[in-house]
Amino acid sequence: MSSPDTNAEEIVEESTEPQEELIVDDKREAFVDSITQDLGSSFIDSHIDPEIDVWIRVTQEAWSETAKILFEKHGMNFFNFLSAIDWKPSPFGREMDAAIDNLDDEVTVETEMEWGVAGGEKRFQMLARVHNPATDMGVNVKADLEGDFPEVDTWTLVYPGANWHEREVMEMFGISFKNHPNMVNLYLPTEFEGHPLRKDFPLLSRRAKPWPGIVDVELMPGESDDETEESGEET
Amino acid sequence: MGLVENGKLPGPLTTLLNISRKYSLWVYQWGLACCAIEMGAAFASPRYDVMRLGVIPFPASPRQADLVVISGTVTDKMAPAVRRLYEQMPEPKYVISMGSCANCGGPYWDSYSVTKGVDQIIPVDVYVPGCPPRPEALLEGIVLLQERIASEDMTDRWNRDPIVVT
Amino acid sequence: MNTEASAQQLSYIENQASDARVNIELETEGMTLNLGPQHPATHGTLRIIVRLDGEQVVSAEPVMGYMHRGYEKLTEVRTYPQVTTLVNRIDWLGSFANEVPFILAAERLMEVEAPARAQWIRTALFELSRIANVVLFLGDMAVQLGATTPVFYAFRDREFVLNQIESVTGGRFHPNFDRIGGVKDDLPKGWIQETKDVLVRINSFCEEMEDLVVGNEIFQTRTRGIGIIPADTGLAYGLSGANIRSSGVDWDLRRDGGVGLIHDQLDWKVWTHPDGDSFARYWVRLQEVRESCKMVGQILDGIPSGPIMAKVPRIIKVPPGEAYVETENPLGIMGYYIISKGDLVPYRVKIRSASFNNVSITPWVLKGVYVPDVISILASLYFILGDIDR
Repeated sequence: MSSPDTNAEEIVEESTEPQEELIVDDKREAFVDSITQDLGSSFIDSHIDPEIDVWIRVTQEAWSETAKILFEKHGMNFFNFLSAIDWKPSPFGREMDAAIDNLDDEVTVETEMEWGVAGGEKRFQMLARVHNPATDMGVNVKADLEGDFPEVDTWTLVYPGANWHEREVMEMFGISFKNHPNMVNLYLPTEFEGHPLRKDFPLLSRRAKPWPGIVDVELMPGESDDETEESGEET
Repeated sequence: MGLVENGKLPGPLTTLLNISRKYSLWVYQWGLACCAIEMGAAFASPRYDVMRLGVIPFPASPRQADLVVISGTVTDKMAPAVRRLYEQMPEPKYVISMGSCANCGGPYWDSYSVTKGVDQIIPVDVYVPGCPPRPEALLEGIVLLQERIASEDMTDRWNRDPIVVT
Repeated sequence: MNTEASAQQLSYIENQASDARVNIELETEGMTLNLGPQHPATHGTLRIIVRLDGEQVVSAEPVMGYMHRGYEKLTEVRTYPQVTTLVNRIDWLGSFANEVPFILAAERLMEVEAPARAQWIRTALFELSRIANVVLFLGDMAVQLGATTPVFYAFRDREFVLNQIESVTGGRFHPNFDRIGGVKDDLPKGWIQETKDVLVRINSFCEEMEDLVVGNEIFQTRTRGIGIIPADTGLAYGLSGANIRSSGVDWDLRRDGGVGLIHDQLDWKVWTHPDGDSFARYWVRLQEVRESCKMVGQILDGIPSGPIMAKVPRIIKVPPGEAYVETENPLGIMGYYIISKGDLVPYRVKIRSASFNNVSITPWVLKGVYVPDVISILASLYFILGDIDR
């Protein structure tokens, strides 16, 4: 690992030139094929942004096994982050915003859940990313979680760096981790109530004092003052 | 200083004591966030050099400090520690609240974990606005505080309004 | 990992193991020491509960959250241009670098690309903020080891870099200068020449540090062989930036990542060090400042002319999708995972900050070291509290 030159050459060799049309990302396609075989029925879905990124979605039960496979078989030895997503839209919408920030006249509150890339089924979804520095390929791993206060296996046995990230997810989302060595609050005082990153956690300060809105509009380069005055009318 | 606190000291003597207090302000550095760097630039860099104003930024503990600069965001978890630090300082003590976060919450005005203004916990003498304030602004705050100390009447120390640097 | 380094590591580990066997004559009661939350040498509040056996650390557990400001929640109620104002303040020493990955991620979702000149200006400011950040580390680590002078030098020379950043962006600290589709303004007149003069100063500052600190025997004794982090452990903990490069991993996103910035058009070198100890971390950062100076110098010579802003709508709505962009920030890898639902505000932003992962190794690396070494290790890991707690 110590000699810079050899490693540099490897990376240069393996990075592929972006093509003009119809980019086929062999590296990531091959990875997805391989991990589909490894995981079998636990593998649900995948998504590839050619030359950019790859997402895979696995079942809740296979969450820790996925980490093991990624680490041992695919050389994903760099732990990037671990987090979660709450897909249930906020019941408050953007009601606390100033009227001028709402482009539509009415405050719309979404209730339907819509999932992002690689799909989804449940309200909570785990999101983690690991990276292989040798091939310079990262992978985003997602997993749907059952229930309102879900429980999932820990990644700390494979990636010790996941320890604090899981504590953060626990206090921010209310997701707990099986076999985690030290499952206590990381950031917030112990008497704090609620899970802030859940979409139904209200920011009470905004209730007391709504957002004032855009009070001064900055000129974009190349714009004259007249245009600001025009847009100033709508503010 | 018992006489000073009872307000029974002759005028000239009060002036003399005030001048000596004004030019030997021992300031405790309470680096909390971004503003701590600007405070460090004001206190530790040769360009701003706070010591020429008679401010000494090296007390070993809050027990030896006259002035504390609350430089940065005070979170709800930090608030008890700020309060405890203030209680440890001997009288007469002064507080400069540096930066928007310490003044009112600043960019985190709607956060769930930030105390909206350090004045909810401890009394503040000087508010220095900015995000973060330039070192010059902090020096201005210190100079204004020194002016107040110079003309301070101990008896009515507790009935005053804070200074707001403009 | 070369053989010399691994032999050094082995002997270190053996020494620690033999120390850990409690000598009857030196037997002591266990003791808990509370470092922090406040310490005059730090700008921020990290508290570490250290359990000691005599002079030796049995376990160390950082207690965080004293600076937790709730960025990830606040980004959900801020529009995209407002988010840059907020994320400036995560790593407050290299503020501009915080905006870049966020803007790049938003640009990827919007399928906008900044014009060439904007990318060059971005890269110049990105590297200048790295200099502003790491220069302070070079002084600050020395002050934590008992040498007061270097920090005065650091503050003195850092001012000149801040002046240059200010004259472009209008902010010494938090520029909020990067925009989706470009940068806010063009470079002011005379800036290029002034910056060249500043680079000369920074280079001479590096020379000074090389003589004063790196060559200092006391500094070497206090840092060499202290706090060794093997490469694979570091990677599994997610260490990045100079911390992992000083463990011999030759990985720098500026060279390997290939997003949005123009580092690949410049001539520079990634420095690594095989030892993985506190000294290596200091040394690698010192070299990185020099490389950054080199890069900025090349940018100033080669900056193309042209527009600085691509065509973007006035009211920015980002199309639905997910994107993760990471860049090699002064402290390590910083990334933003943006989930957009086509609204004015992001649906969710996961901020992957470098120091959070860098510090998560402390319970492992502090185990078995002596109390004075705790300071040297923590100083060399180089964290910024806003970057840990977010």
